[in-house]
Amino acid sequence: MTGQPIVRVRGIHKYFTRGEEKIDVLKNLSLEVPEGEFLGLMGPSGSGKTTLLNLIAGLDRPSAGEVWIRDQLISKMSEADLASWRTRNIGFIFQFYHLLPVLTAYENVELPLLLLPLSSAERQKQVLTALDLVSLTNRMHHRPGQLSGGQQQRVGIARAVVTDPTLIVADEPTGDLDAHSAEEILNLLCELQKSLRKTILLVTHDPRAAERAQRIVHLDKGRLVEGDTSTAIRPAPVGAAAGMQETGIKQQGT
Amino acid sequence: MIDELLANPVTLLCVVISLAVVVAGLVFAVTSPRMLLLVIKNLRRNLGRTTITCLATMVLVAMVTMIWTVIYTLDMVTTEKSKDFKLVVTERWQIPSQMPPTHADYLNPESPKFLPELKGMIGPNDFMTWSFYGGTLDPTKFTRENLLFMFVMNPKHIRSMMDDLDTLDPALVKKLGDTRTGVLLGPERLAMINKKVGERIKVTSLNYKGINLELEIVGELPAGRYDQSAIMSDAYFNDELDKYARTTGQKHPLDNKRLNLIWLRVRDRETFSKVGEIVENSPYFADRPVKVETASSGIGTWLAPYADILWRVRWIVVPAIIVSMTLVVANAISISVRERMTEMAVLKVLGYRPGTILKLVLGESMLVGGLAGLGSAVLTYALVNFAMGGIKFPIAFFPAFFVPAWGIAWGFALGAGTSAVGSFLPAWSARSVKVSEVFSKVT
Repeated sequence: MTGQPIVRVRGIHKYFTRGEEKIDVLKNLSLEVPEGEFLGLMGPSGSGKTTLLNLIAGLDRPSAGEVWIRDQLISKMSEADLASWRTRNIGFIFQFYHLLPVLTAYENVELPLLLLPLSSAERQKQVLTALDLVSLTNRMHHRPGQLSGGQQQRVGIARAVVTDPTLIVADEPTGDLDAHSAEEILNLLCELQKSLRKTILLVTHDPRAAERAQRIVHLDKGRLVEGDTSTAIRPAPVGAAAGMQETGIKQQGT
Repeated sequence: MIDELLANPVTLLCVVISLAVVVAGLVFAVTSPRMLLLVIKNLRRNLGRTTITCLATMVLVAMVTMIWTVIYTLDMVTTEKSKDFKLVVTERWQIPSQMPPTHADYLNPESPKFLPELKGMIGPNDFMTWSFYGGTLDPTKFTRENLLFMFVMNPKHIRSMMDDLDTLDPALVKKLGDTRTGVLLGPERLAMINKKVGERIKVTSLNYKGINLELEIVGELPAGRYDQSAIMSDAYFNDELDKYARTTGQKHPLDNKRLNLIWLRVRDRETFSKVGEIVENSPYFADRPVKVETASSGIGTWLAPYADILWRVRWIVVPAIIVSMTLVVANAISISVRERMTEMAVLKVLGYRPGTILKLVLGESMLVGGLAGLGSAVLTYALVNFAMGGIKFPIAFFPAFFVPAWGIAWGFALGAGTSAVGSFLPAWSARSVKVSEVFSKVT
């Protein structure tokens, strides 16, 4: 069940330069993602998937064109404004987790909340809810080095959702995991989409991961080759996700 | 103390930097305790590197603190004060100054011969004379341990005119005044000659041939500036010169040259000018003309031979050490930042603004530098002042130099300041990290 477009990418163009050479990565690309959709982005290496994801997440700026998230034109924001915007609007899940090794699971999840005007009690409540969502409250005082790859990625997901962002972007989140852990992570993402109505953009090479998406778009040589899929979303959120809705990881402003 | 601070711009700057860093640190700790925790955890990540950076900073801060102690002390004594400054009256044409004792009578407010033009400008507590007496405890063996250098003066002027002796126990001063042959000795000198308070010593003079003294040690001078010094009463000294004349039938060759310095204190520069004009033009001093200088100017004359070396220490050695410190910190923080570029990028993805990342890196560096600097300065202060008996750097008539309390501010400001400067470029590169570039390298 999807709603109004939350992501609107209009005629973006992105190129990089290497010495004298100009490399076009994205060419006149437009895309809309409705609110609550689970969108899969697929394509061969070098097709521009990650670049597109970075533009939508406000980590990079297009050479031309516009990127709108809800009613905000993020492609024109300053770097500092984008940073603040990302805290509240984007949850990013990395392929290699990228947890800070000196911090515990709890402290890693808490990191984005340190930027928001919350009391320590509110922060604690949101961190525990996010950790509960990924079933890791029992490991919250462990450091990343003491967790398995799957557990680290679950911490990464908890960190991505802890601020209740508008949009969750995941760049090959199962790329570094074994099949079993990858399955768990994909289930978790489906749960998030279904129960919390999160809009998710998933970049993947893995067709099995992409199958979980409601719609898949293909990129090739910087251009969009769109094709709808009728992938079944895994049914029914379970306790933790439902609990998150109830206890409220609240929307932190707009 | 505030006057002292205002008179020394470097110290004032250090105090301002220290206060600013402490206030900023407290604000950061109170408003962002979890961020502070992140800073501390990052420092613990590579404990070996943090410890080495700390130790390097401490060693260099200790070196600068000790060197600057000497420069600061000399600066303070050669800097003109705006009020209550001391004047030194010496023989105009001869060094060392050797004036007749009658010169003092014209400048002593309690003498009937006191120049009436000076009334109202110099009070009874604004006058002191010094004669220098050097001798040995063993005339057959001239070793450093046996030598004794004494200020010969009226005991009642000690508290009012001697630098840093204004808090000397009045009972001790009274005892010196009451005991005709009394002497006060500095603790180091006392230990060196292996004597105790109450014991007697015989001194054979080196500069007043034939004026040998038998002195009773009536007390100890406070540790520090006067560690190696001795003060004896001028009454006994003058009596012995008179006795010499009676027994030999002729005056001692230095009888009429026994007065080395006369000290006066005036309230301001205008009074100094007036006193200078009156004294230098007075007919009473015509036979042995005198000059009147401020104490700082007088001391400056003594220090003139050391001017070149002091200039090099101040403008070459100290800056070189500070630059070394900055490079040590810059190197350590650069390595640390380079190792963590991906983490910086992750923080940016999570919404940390460039300025926040800059502050986190600067915070790490300044925490290490500030604490190392503070620790080093406190240790240097304690070791130099209480364990080593000062920095033994004999220059002019300063036997040793003591780290002032302000030295703690120098260390803290130096540690925090060099850390801030040294880590600024690495912090800027962390702040400017391009997320997309970092992750394109990672994947």
